Amino acid sequence: MRDRSRLTTLAASIGAATLVLTSCAPQEVGADSSLADCAEHPNTCNSGERAEGGDITWIVDSLPGAWATLSPEGGSVYTLQMLHGILPHTGHWEPDGVTFTPNMDLLAEEPRVVDEDPFTYQFTIRPEAVWDDGTPITAADFEVTWKLSTTEEAGHCTGCRPRTDNYDRIASVEGSDGGSTVTVTLADGAADPEWRDRFSASDIAGGIYPAHVAEEQGFDITTPEGVGEYFEWLHTTMPTFSGGPYRLVEGDLENQVIKEPNPAWYGEVAPTLDTVVIRFLTDEGTWISALDNGEAHGTSPVAFGQDTVEQARQRPGLNVSITAGPSWEHVDLNLENRWLKDVALRRAIFTAIDVEDIARRTIAQLYPEAGPRTNHIFPDTSPYHTDVITETGQGSGDTEAARRILLDAGYTYQGETLTLDGEEVGPFRLRSTSNTVRDTSTELIQSYLAEIGITATIEPTDDLGATLGGQDYDIMQYGWSSSPAFATAPSQYWSSSSDSNFGRYRNDEVDRLAELTRNASSLDEAAEYANEAARIVARDAYVLPLFSMPIYVLVTDGYVNVRDNPSSSLRALYQHHEWGLAAQ
Amino acid sequence: MLAYTVRRLLGTVPLLLAASLLTFLLVDLSGDPLADLRVQQPPVPAEVIEAEEERLYLDRSLPERYVLWLTGIGGDGDIGLLRGEFGPSVRGPDYDIGQALAERLGSTLRLVAAALLLALGLAVLTGVVSAVRQYSAVDYTLTFVGFLALAMPTFWLGALVKEAGVWANQQTGYTIFYTVGATSADTRGFTAGQLLADHLGHLVLPTLTLMLTGYAAWSRYQRTSMLEVLNSDYVRLARAKGLPNRVVLRRHALRTALIPLTTVAAVTVAGTVDGVILIETVFQWRGLGDFFVEAVKRSDAYALMGWLMLSGTAVVLANLAADLLYGVLDPRIRHE
Repeated sequence: MRDRSRLTTLAASIGAATLVLTSCAPQEVGADSSLADCAEHPNTCNSGERAEGGDITWIVDSLPGAWATLSPEGGSVYTLQMLHGILPHTGHWEPDGVTFTPNMDLLAEEPRVVDEDPFTYQFTIRPEAVWDDGTPITAADFEVTWKLSTTEEAGHCTGCRPRTDNYDRIASVEGSDGGSTVTVTLADGAADPEWRDRFSASDIAGGIYPAHVAEEQGFDITTPEGVGEYFEWLHTTMPTFSGGPYRLVEGDLENQVIKEPNPAWYGEVAPTLDTVVIRFLTDEGTWISALDNGEAHGTSPVAFGQDTVEQARQRPGLNVSITAGPSWEHVDLNLENRWLKDVALRRAIFTAIDVEDIARRTIAQLYPEAGPRTNHIFPDTSPYHTDVITETGQGSGDTEAARRILLDAGYTYQGETLTLDGEEVGPFRLRSTSNTVRDTSTELIQSYLAEIGITATIEPTDDLGATLGGQDYDIMQYGWSSSPAFATAPSQYWSSSSDSNFGRYRNDEVDRLAELTRNASSLDEAAEYANEAARIVARDAYVLPLFSMPIYVLVTDGYVNVRDNPSSSLRALYQHHEWGLAAQ
Repeated sequence: MLAYTVRRLLGTVPLLLAASLLTFLLVDLSGDPLADLRVQQPPVPAEVIEAEEERLYLDRSLPERYVLWLTGIGGDGDIGLLRGEFGPSVRGPDYDIGQALAERLGSTLRLVAAALLLALGLAVLTGVVSAVRQYSAVDYTLTFVGFLALAMPTFWLGALVKEAGVWANQQTGYTIFYTVGATSADTRGFTAGQLLADHLGHLVLPTLTLMLTGYAAWSRYQRTSMLEVLNSDYVRLARAKGLPNRVVLRRHALRTALIPLTTVAAVTVAGTVDGVILIETVFQWRGLGDFFVEAVKRSDAYALMGWLMLSGTAVVLANLAADLLYGVLDPRIRHE
């Protein structure tokens, strides 16, 4: 009897423990979340007074490839996020995607264009701005950063492998007034509408590298060879120098880095947290338990993980904020396909696709604000946004209109099959990498096309680059990443000479507008050209924008000034020297 | 025995060569290592991509690359398996695949060694108890637990173990168990005791998960093997001679019953290097499994080849060890 009683007690205990362990009592959190007002006040939400002290461990969702962001292997948002706060920079984009804030901790006055021909702009450095060893930050640092960011062809660096050639267009970086004035001059005939982004927090270098450290390490940066050696050294050595609010005190590229406040920090707002740990946790499934267990306190990952968001919303101690992210989905057509060369067919295909329906059945379930994107370059929150899609009827899901376009162009129907001159049109290979959103989306696109008599065969791919590069598709859904820095986007997407113009679209006028966008002397002018190019591309039915993918930030209770920044590769870390524990 | 061992070792050479050729082909078919670079925004300059192609020897034909990877002839000194060079990595010119594999191997062995020893011990114990108490409540319970652990997917078991660890921490108010990594992020200022506790705290949950997955299968082997021996004539004879049950079990039955488990375990240990991929992912343990996942993510062909060759060699050697052990443990078998 006693044994049976014990057994019952044991069974009951195991049952109770199991229930506790597996319980997921839904507790919707968010109404009182400190991030609740981020949609209305993206630049200031979760602001608050900070207490002195405290630590935070921030999850970064992939491994950085190197200790510098200049090269292809190091050039990722993960490396930028790891190093942010170490390198001084000239400014950053605010979360609203409209405001560029110059870094007035570093700069004595707002940077300005001083000449249009040759295009020349100037930065003036505050005398208080110093590296952690007391060396002043000067034009020499800008100069070496410029050289490090150029390709070997530019002749300033032997062996440099920069991930963009934006800095090749700079002809010189010169100092005056004892190095406190930096004058950047572009090559003859070149202009740069995004000149304020150069040397900024999310540009190629993530800021400015110290020239004096190169000299201390024995690199002769007056020669291209010396700059090349410095380039390699920066990629393989953890930076212990700092010209920002934090300095790296320990770390590796596979587990974590530890940042502490830079004692020589000269800025207005000093960090209050004792340590910021950037922890690399590459499996999203591990995050919630790490947050529950106090091993991490927040994250703003690149990809949107539906499961993670749903679990986080059930945790009382976690704040979640979802917003439209920089990545936007779109459908591209391969114009090398003999059928898809016909613009009427392309227009009909895009007209039959119901973008709002796709959004409703995919991302709107977690992010109800999601809606169709109506411009390839600018999201609807951008001041430069112009709707170039709605007037074309594309993305409307109007199958009757789509059929009319086809019939007017000479296509006929045999039964329910679309034909031209007696031959069936298609079938088309509809491809995308597999995830929840794209799987549903491609199935929907397949059904829309079936309604206008076109057969599309879904063929998922796990190698996006090879599929696009090899033009191994007829219709493709994938994502581009947009940013407030847009001037190179039209030429990358649509120029006939661009390797990223995967569907081989060719339009001389678009080529001209793309070049003008890149070479405009102001953002306003560049935006005009970009919108005009987008309008032509929409008319030619080459790319149909779908919607912006949502992103999220998670942070445990008690931290203030933590908020997401979808306009920056740095995401929530963009001003992490302002983070702190909430003052009681 | 020595001649047999040498003969078997020589036999592994063509086997590994064939395996290397096959895996090299498969890895090459799996995708372009620079595919991501080609679609980056803003675009990577063409000359940088060309330089990367050259550095990774992607400008050469597949047969050329295989010979180069194997021998290093015609390379820049950073490639040639026979010279001990695993080849260049997409992670940059300074990333040493061989060094990374060695470091990761140490990390994985730390995790695997403890788990497998515990799993073996537990499997022998429960297998023997189950066999001796066949069809009793204890046997049914152990069988149920064994099948439960066997049937449960590793990632799910790992997730449950983690939940249990977090729950235990929350109940006690102390962080005893950790769910990610091999150590805490910031261990500066830890005393030796704190450091040891931290290491152990990180080791417990992944070890437990790995142990349960290993134990489940082995305990079934051990039970079956023990039952077979217990029903054999020589055990009946020992009992008939009046030997105490404990002596019969320990001296006569157990030793013989351990033979199948020993050989199975030797092979499984090598296989565990593969199986640990999931555990290391779930617990973010930077070992060989995580190395493999990272190499796949980055389409790092030479890193993948390095891992596959290491894994393949381990399996081949473990099979050899199992065969040799069989001969040592079972006097009826002689390797000529």
